Amino acid sequence: MSDTILQIRNLEAGYGEVQVLWGTNLQVTSGQLTTIVGANGAGKTTTLRSITGWVRPSGGQIIFEGDDITRLPTYRKAELGVVMVPEGRQLFGDMTVLENLEMGAFSARARAYQARNLEKVCHYFPRVKERLEQKAGTLSGGEQQMVAVGRGLMSEPKVLMIDEMSLGLSPLLAQQLFQTLKELREDGLTTLLVEQNVHLALALADHAYVLAEGQVQLEGPAREVADNDEIRKAYLGL
Amino acid sequence: MTGVIVSIINGLLLGAIYGLAAIGLTLIFGVMKVINLAHGAMIALGMFALYLLVSWLGINPYLAVPVVGVGGFLMGFCIYWIAVHRVIGRAELMSLLATFAVSMIIVGVGTVLWSTSPYNVQVDMPGLSIGRYTIPGNHIVAAVVAILVAVALYLFLYYTRLGKAIRAVASNRQASELMGIPSTRVLAIAFGIGIGIAAVAGSLIATLFPFTILSGASYELKSFVVTVLGGLGNPAGALLGGLLLGLIEGSVSPFVSVSWTPVIEFSLFVVILILFPAGLFRVGRGR
Repeated sequence: MSDTILQIRNLEAGYGEVQVLWGTNLQVTSGQLTTIVGANGAGKTTTLRSITGWVRPSGGQIIFEGDDITRLPTYRKAELGVVMVPEGRQLFGDMTVLENLEMGAFSARARAYQARNLEKVCHYFPRVKERLEQKAGTLSGGEQQMVAVGRGLMSEPKVLMIDEMSLGLSPLLAQQLFQTLKELREDGLTTLLVEQNVHLALALADHAYVLAEGQVQLEGPAREVADNDEIRKAYLGL
Repeated sequence: MTGVIVSIINGLLLGAIYGLAAIGLTLIFGVMKVINLAHGAMIALGMFALYLLVSWLGINPYLAVPVVGVGGFLMGFCIYWIAVHRVIGRAELMSLLATFAVSMIIVGVGTVLWSTSPYNVQVDMPGLSIGRYTIPGNHIVAAVVAILVAVALYLFLYYTRLGKAIRAVASNRQASELMGIPSTRVLAIAFGIGIGIAAVAGSLIATLFPFTILSGASYELKSFVVTVLGGLGNPAGALLGGLLLGLIEGSVSPFVSVSWTPVIEFSLFVVILILFPAGLFRVGRGR
């Protein structure tokens, strides 16, 4: 049951002259919800972007299902099932919601499950179902986030990475989305979550990594991390 | 009065072809933010490709048009990898210079091969008589073909998986990669389609007028006027812009000498740029 599906070893990455990750190590276990928490600038988003290839790592390895995928182009990783829902949603604004979802299922592997996954998305997000023919850019922020997650689900992910899902959403909407994540997790989805809302993330996750200054400072079952007073003070500002 | 109406109809027929040519330009810009200065050279190549197919192989010009389109696509696909791929996402001047260089090479080689003297393709097509005026048959066919190609492109972009992927890459290239869309390959295909359309437009123009290897330049300029009318990056707007430009040409030509046409067109170009920088039409785009 505790199979490691994604493993990051000594990852180093940054933007131009600025190095952000200094040898980050972490593992994602199949079927679990793993979260990375930490202060702004700790390297959480950079970690996800390095995994997808949006940022080219300067050192270290990314192992997915036993294969080194560090240097693969982003679209190849998506084909394999390493899928990210990016920060800021990044929908195709002048395409309809349905077209956005169809694009989620672009890869040959995901295409085979397109009809089933569309049904699934409509089941988890009834609001999205009502808006299929609308242009994605005209939706509210919360609806757009639902489409973004839905688009990720359409890719038939083996690991779904979600970057700052609750950013800019009302507390109520954020709670609803987290509820959906919980259901998805119960259905067996493997998730790697980066989230500035530490409370929600730790309450939901199985396993947590605390990132600071580009390195993992602590890891453990999410509940233990949440209960560790020193960690809360030193890294999470709680 | 009939003369003016016939002139306007002729203008609209030509306008459809201007619109098609401009679609090639605006598609490339819309998808990859590259202003293709080799556009006119590709139109001219389309003219000569038609000429060669007709004079060497003796095929019917209208059957040669799709061949020119496919050839243009393949050529554009290759040019993308050679000259455009490395400058995508760099300063705009880079892609302007790269495509301008391609244009110079093509026109240079074309001049060596065919000199700059005019060629023409003979097309026999009965015209449509209105009183003592005639609307030439080849103009009607060319306009119909142009509109059919434009409609086919629209259907492709909105109803096929690859077409939607092109729109997705145009909208957000980074995000499209996250969906498993190989965005570089999609850009190469889009560039190929843009060039293929330019070549088809050139081959249609070749069925109407005599041409030289330098003829592409004036159609490239018209394409710029059309895209400014229709909004850069907007294919549906480009077709409407082309028709509008044709309408203007048709309406003024009975009253002024031909030399005035570019003066009027480009005055309009400047006025529209100042008053409506986003174009007159905003069709099919959410923004």
